[in-house]
Amino acid sequence: MLVGRLRQGEAEAFDQIYAVFNKPLFTFLIRLARHRDVAEDLHEETWLRLVKHADRLHADTRLGPWLFTVARNLYVSYRRSRALEDSAAAGLIGLWPFGPRETSPFEKTAANELERRIERALAHLPAASREVLLLVGISGLDQSEVADICGITPAALRQRLHRAREMLAQALDRDAVAPSVLEGVPSCPTR
Amino acid sequence: MSDPVITRLAGLPAAEPDIIRSDHIRRRCHAHLARHTRRSPITSRLTKAERLAPVWQSLIAVLGLGYLTQAIRFALDVYGLT
Repeated sequence: MLVGRLRQGEAEAFDQIYAVFNKPLFTFLIRLARHRDVAEDLHEETWLRLVKHADRLHADTRLGPWLFTVARNLYVSYRRSRALEDSAAAGLIGLWPFGPRETSPFEKTAANELERRIERALAHLPAASREVLLLVGISGLDQSEVADICGITPAALRQRLHRAREMLAQALDRDAVAPSVLEGVPSCPTR
Repeated sequence: MSDPVITRLAGLPAAEPDIIRSDHIRRRCHAHLARHTRRSPITSRLTKAERLAPVWQSLIAVLGLGYLTQAIRFALDVYGLT
């Protein structure tokens, strides 16, 4: 219904979709990318992809998984391009504006210690583990949809999720024992 | 979800997108939708498969008709009726 209206170019249909998914999508991207500037660019590109491809959407397309898939793929492309840049200019990395040791405003101002610890632990995980935790824990998608988004089988997702949970729990334990272990790891710069 | 780690994650505050930037994205998307709707009001409603359907349906009809014609000609030849 909503997809059909979007395919016809209805701005109101777009607004309804935007109202539902704008914040969860941005939350996913900012926690995945860990840099507000990057997340904002990827967020904008995701929405533009939706309207550019609106006429090719099937009537039964589930917009949540579609949007998160695009966002995740854009992030993977961004990481690949960054990896190439990093390998080509390893000596200049300190001059790059998205330095890995950057401390976000959120980290400075977050009131809740537990939230801060989770943010730090999450930021400490590899991207593949972080993305499954974010998609399952934050986006509200079910596991089969998350498996589709990540391009893996449900069994592989369960395994990856299990590992990611263990890694996060261990990171949280380490942080509880010695908070300095994860100090300096950038966390989610939410506002 | 009962898993404590996932529950903790779900409890994290949502990130707030910048209001000005969100509005900018919305306006860009509206503009794109309006442009696209003006350019192709009918075809924009159709998926690629739907647009191509008349083409392949016609092709199958032509091939089927050709095959049937040849089959009839062959049968007439066999019975010496041509």
